[in-house]
Amino acid sequence: MTWNYSKKTTELFMAAVSGQPGTHLGEIEDADGFGEHGSISCGDALRFTFRVERHPTDPQLDKITEARYLTFGCTSAIAASEALCAIIEEGDFTPIGALEITNQDIVKYLDGLPQAKIHCSVMGAEALEAAVFNWAQKRGVDLADLGVDIRRDEQEEGRLVCTCFGLTEPYIIRKIEELEMKTIADITNAIKAGGACMSCHHTPGGLQDLLDKVNGSRPTTMKQLPVLPMARAPKAQPPTEMSPFKFAKKVEEVIDSYVRPQLAKDAGDIEIVDIKDTKVYCTMKGACADCVGSQNTIKMLVEQALKDQIDQRIQVIEV
Amino acid sequence: MTIIYMDNNATTRVAPEVFEALMPYLTDDYFNPSSLYEPAHGPAEAITAARRMVAKLLGKARPDEILFTSCATESNNTAVFGTIAANQERRHIVTTGVEHPAIFSVGEDLQRRGLDVDFVPVDSDGNIDKMEFVRALRPDTLMVSVMHANNETGVIYPVGELSRITKETDPSIVFHTDATQTVGKLPIDLRDSFRNVDLLSFSGHKLHAPKGIGALYIRRGTRCRPFLLGGHQEDGRRAGTENVAFIVGLAKALELAMERHDEDEARIVAMRDRLERELLARIPYLEVNGKNAPRLSNTLNVACHFIEGEGILYQLSAQGICASSGSACTSGSLEPSHVLRAMHIPFSAIHGSVRFSLSRYNTDAEIDTVIEVFPGIVDSLRRLSPYWDVKKNEPRPEAMEMLTQTEMPEVRDDGEDTKIRGRIS
Repeated sequence: MTWNYSKKTTELFMAAVSGQPGTHLGEIEDADGFGEHGSISCGDALRFTFRVERHPTDPQLDKITEARYLTFGCTSAIAASEALCAIIEEGDFTPIGALEITNQDIVKYLDGLPQAKIHCSVMGAEALEAAVFNWAQKRGVDLADLGVDIRRDEQEEGRLVCTCFGLTEPYIIRKIEELEMKTIADITNAIKAGGACMSCHHTPGGLQDLLDKVNGSRPTTMKQLPVLPMARAPKAQPPTEMSPFKFAKKVEEVIDSYVRPQLAKDAGDIEIVDIKDTKVYCTMKGACADCVGSQNTIKMLVEQALKDQIDQRIQVIEV
Repeated sequence: MTIIYMDNNATTRVAPEVFEALMPYLTDDYFNPSSLYEPAHGPAEAITAARRMVAKLLGKARPDEILFTSCATESNNTAVFGTIAANQERRHIVTTGVEHPAIFSVGEDLQRRGLDVDFVPVDSDGNIDKMEFVRALRPDTLMVSVMHANNETGVIYPVGELSRITKETDPSIVFHTDATQTVGKLPIDLRDSFRNVDLLSFSGHKLHAPKGIGALYIRRGTRCRPFLLGGHQEDGRRAGTENVAFIVGLAKALELAMERHDEDEARIVAMRDRLERELLARIPYLEVNGKNAPRLSNTLNVACHFIEGEGILYQLSAQGICASSGSACTSGSLEPSHVLRAMHIPFSAIHGSVRFSLSRYNTDAEIDTVIEVFPGIVDSLRRLSPYWDVKKNEPRPEAMEMLTQTEMPEVRDDGEDTKIRGRIS
């Protein structure tokens, strides 16, 4: 997968990492708005902060004067963070006005993003929204009164659909509506849901069901996968007179009473790892572990002892 | 801009000697080796000679045990599906959690088809858990597949020993190994250390032959049905007109690798060790993935905590340096490397892992350039990272616990005081 970023995207990225003046890297202390999105396990995370020039009487007329970001993520995640800050600083926005900025504006500012990287722009829009909610709380602005849907975050504590990225049904439904998504690929590209283990694609209540719920369902016929013959039952155990438990006990007894004392003379030891049927798996310890003759010891001493004292079919395997 | 190519576990440049050897079969000797007329004898004999050479270099294998394929992925698929088709009565397969997708994804697909597949776990250095391996073997185990060395970390697996344990447990279990990263690099002797290996896959383009040629060793007597049907080529075990030029190229490349092995190996390991030492000395919170395991001498996989690999690769590429990463953003899916996940590398590092893999064509001057450039790139991205304290040049206090976090944050769907998306801080 080679890079097919726009010139604008790569320019913004290179400017940011080389710390050129005019870039928006950083975090504002005691910021008026603070928002985060993503997590380290998902592979990208953005911390977005802004400062406003406070209006003396009406907080709704505050103007955003400065916007900064810190981003853990790929080339396009960093470029999208730059773009978000640039759009805000160039646009002379009030915080409420800034809610109008969508991920599409970020994509446009970057002269486009590859389909698989759309989620980087969504991350920017989400962090902005979180920061504006944070500002409203601090300034005592009641967003609900202004017709802004602030119950979103609460609603999102619903049934988990994509466990890999921890995304819930209300969140995915909202995004399907907002971004007018039509296919599972659209969802994955925009918000990553279903992009890892893919098990939520077609399960009941999964991504396809949510798409159908929003967009109306199309009748589909499920393709039946051929069922191959199942595993034949494991072969019966060879007929030993002892139960596996008794057999293992007996092996231990012989090792303890006869083999160990022999090995101890050479400062060595042995450990039983596993027993399957009449096969006994052992590891040599102590001086025996590094001994070039350990294979011989296993066969001549250990295996022979077990054969003589328990069962001729016993085979000892060194691990 | 000059290119510094350090991605030789992905593919290699064709050696000039190989190119020279194969060219005539693209131009003058283009005939179909299956044809009867006189000019077709040349290509047919070239294949016979190449087969003999490859067999000899793998430890005196018999020529008829070598099958030419189009790539290692085809070899792996042939080995697994061919073995299953030939042995319908057993339905259990043992492999590892760190295989190349050409085995790993096949294993996952087999599970969907109703077979039992066990993926044996590895420890944090990538070493296979031998006790778990022993426990995984069952009376109905059909096949075991363990790679010889891992493509991402370079960790080498004790294939000789694992195949011995397998055969001592049950001689009718088929043992397969994917030796794509090791043929030409590590000693492989199918009559000695690898005498218990039944099937072995590799490809040409990892050892300076062209892309589009692979091989599968099938020990005489191993039950394995053909994967491609439709012709009598390769004794009816792999249909399709032979890729004469590339088969010649593969044999030449293997011959060259064996001839130059000792000299190349010494140079490559010296360069790799110096790169590793210098990067570790210059960059804080840098870790070598698989550091305590035996590793291929050409591979260095480093994890840079708290930054994302794609941004590193992009900046390396801007300087002409080619490397690769196990991060989610570079994988084509949204999931980070299953190999590093299986090793329980923390998320803070898994996304920031970068692999350098060298070849005989790398130089000390190129290593110098990477040593000079890489620390600056890591630094530039850490300055942007919300988890990094720039002044102290270490992770922020609240990010310290992530250095050991290897599982996704617990997400419950019962509501109460659970962070929905595992937010930062």
